[in-house]
Amino acid sequence: MSEQNLPSINLALCNHCTLCVTNCPENALEMTEQGPVFIDPISCSYCRDCEHLCPTAAIRAPLVVTWRAK
Amino acid sequence: MEIETINQIAIFSSLDSETRLAIAQRAFTRRLPAGFTLLTEGMPAESCYFIVTGEVRALRMNTDGRVQVLARFSAGDPINIISLLTEEKTNRATIEVLSPTSVLILQTADFDFLISNYTDFSNLILRQLAARLSKITDLAADLSLYAVRARLARFLIELADFTPSPSGWTQDEIAAHIGTVRDVVGRLLRDFESAGLILRQRGQIILLDRDHLSEIAQD
Repeated sequence: MSEQNLPSINLALCNHCTLCVTNCPENALEMTEQGPVFIDPISCSYCRDCEHLCPTAAIRAPLVVTWRAK
Repeated sequence: MEIETINQIAIFSSLDSETRLAIAQRAFTRRLPAGFTLLTEGMPAESCYFIVTGEVRALRMNTDGRVQVLARFSAGDPINIISLLTEEKTNRATIEVLSPTSVLILQTADFDFLISNYTDFSNLILRQLAARLSKITDLAADLSLYAVRARLARFLIELADFTPSPSGWTQDEIAAHIGTVRDVVGRLLRDFESAGLILRQRGQIILLDRDHLSEIAQD
């Protein structure tokens, strides 16, 4: 699981509400003074709960759409 | 600024060389990192922007404090023009940079000068506003003519057929683009997956059945 597939966090938009940290099913996030950081990136399952819960759209878990390779 | 930068922006290609020179004399460029907040909703509108390279998204805060993604803009797209043309002159949305972006900046006084003195520039701005209005009209027509399931199928095919965006699309952004909410997009993606039309993997939606998806897109 590569690091570039982690949700991206815009710390400038973060309001430190901790919803992402407390609701992460894999406990992959921790709140710091700057905002949330992935303390256990390997365990992130890309469920996108953090993106969904973030009230300020500071977390993006984007999807790339492709056709199945032939 | 260099006239070459002006020539890099496709929508300026229709302008007279004199107009392009007038823009070059007044505009300046800025490179913005991913995650940078270019504009904040409700703040005084001081400039408009034209994207040279990169991608940004527009966000707006609901009355309950939640942020909603409205749209995405990329190379050639103007930003904040409507804010400069309204009476209040405040930013209509927050603009966040998605991937490293270069923008050409025109301050209010320079924008007003160009609008007042260069007919081809004001015509260009009118065409841009008409294009935005036309998009909204298309969306309104789509909303009344096609079910959200059809709109999602059509958008997925469109995304897969063309060069993928380097910053990808979140469910919120897909929802904003097709005129629905993310929960509906999530439910429909689950339905598509159950029906064997798509496969969802970490950060990826893989389309499996073009014929069936195309059929749904016409429903």
